Amino acid sequence: MLVYLLFGTAFGFILSRSGAADYNYIQGMFLLEEFQLYGIIGTAVALTAPGLWLIKRVGRTWRGPVRLDPRPFNRGNVAGGLLFGVGWSIAGMCPGPIFVNVGEGKIHALAALAGALVGAGAFGALYGRLQQAFRLPPLVVGTGQG
Amino acid sequence: MPLILNGLPPLHWAAAGAGIAAVTLLLLVLANRRLGISSGFEDVCSLVLRQSYFRREGLLSTRRWRLPFVVGLVAGGFLSAAAGGGWTPTWALGMFDERIGLGPAGKLAWMFAGGLFIGFGTRLGGGCTSGHGIFGMSNLELPSIVTTLSFMAGGLVTTQLLYRVVFA
Repeated sequence: MLVYLLFGTAFGFILSRSGAADYNYIQGMFLLEEFQLYGIIGTAVALTAPGLWLIKRVGRTWRGPVRLDPRPFNRGNVAGGLLFGVGWSIAGMCPGPIFVNVGEGKIHALAALAGALVGAGAFGALYGRLQQAFRLPPLVVGTGQG
Repeated sequence: MPLILNGLPPLHWAAAGAGIAAVTLLLLVLANRRLGISSGFEDVCSLVLRQSYFRREGLLSTRRWRLPFVVGLVAGGFLSAAAGGGWTPTWALGMFDERIGLGPAGKLAWMFAGGLFIGFGTRLGGGCTSGHGIFGMSNLELPSIVTTLSFMAGGLVTTQLLYRVVFA
């Protein structure tokens, strides 16, 4: 448990100091006026991709064999992505930075967190009804970790 | 541009990106966990909600690591503030204050509405910037690439409308 707490703390600190948890930088990204976030995500993907390739080639981790189950595409990917994008713009935070901004002492972030929990709760409660419309995986699987 | 947080200078984007990659890869190598934060909302929901969606094994088995991880995110934000000029509760929101300019009550309502979209949208899409944008794209997963393009498009259109049309 402690190791995950430490991973989260390191990740949160980086998000906090990078601009990824900063309202102005998020709007600057969507206004196409600030390169910062594109640089961050681009660098992260450019370095994570070869790392993942290597880990999968080795086939195992410290805690057993690598299992990265492929996630089937469904209509929720596009619809959910669009809705999330609208929310990211409105709040100026994506999920990680919501938690980070709460820690930084930004009071309004508590409202974003409350909204996100209600939104996720509503999604789970309505899963049975949304499943058919969006061709979502069976309930035991869910839409996947992410 | 300084951060809203205590006017601190931001990390260089390459350093921040490398740090994010390091945490992502170490999380997989040391703990065999796939980075993904938006599922953390479901984990928190599962502490109080009793619907079958929140009782499934896949969720209960991964919340053991993801709950401490998201608590760590809060701690990281706190440390960052405390070590960088001091921790003080604040309503400061940069260009939102200059252009949209709602007071505390309006800001809470605005943020709650944004949060609803984020919570519902990320779970319908099966992930957020971390799970799809960083991990899934790095793993060349088609659903992640499609979802990432979708949320970038949603954010782009919304911000352009807000700052170039409605509050121009």
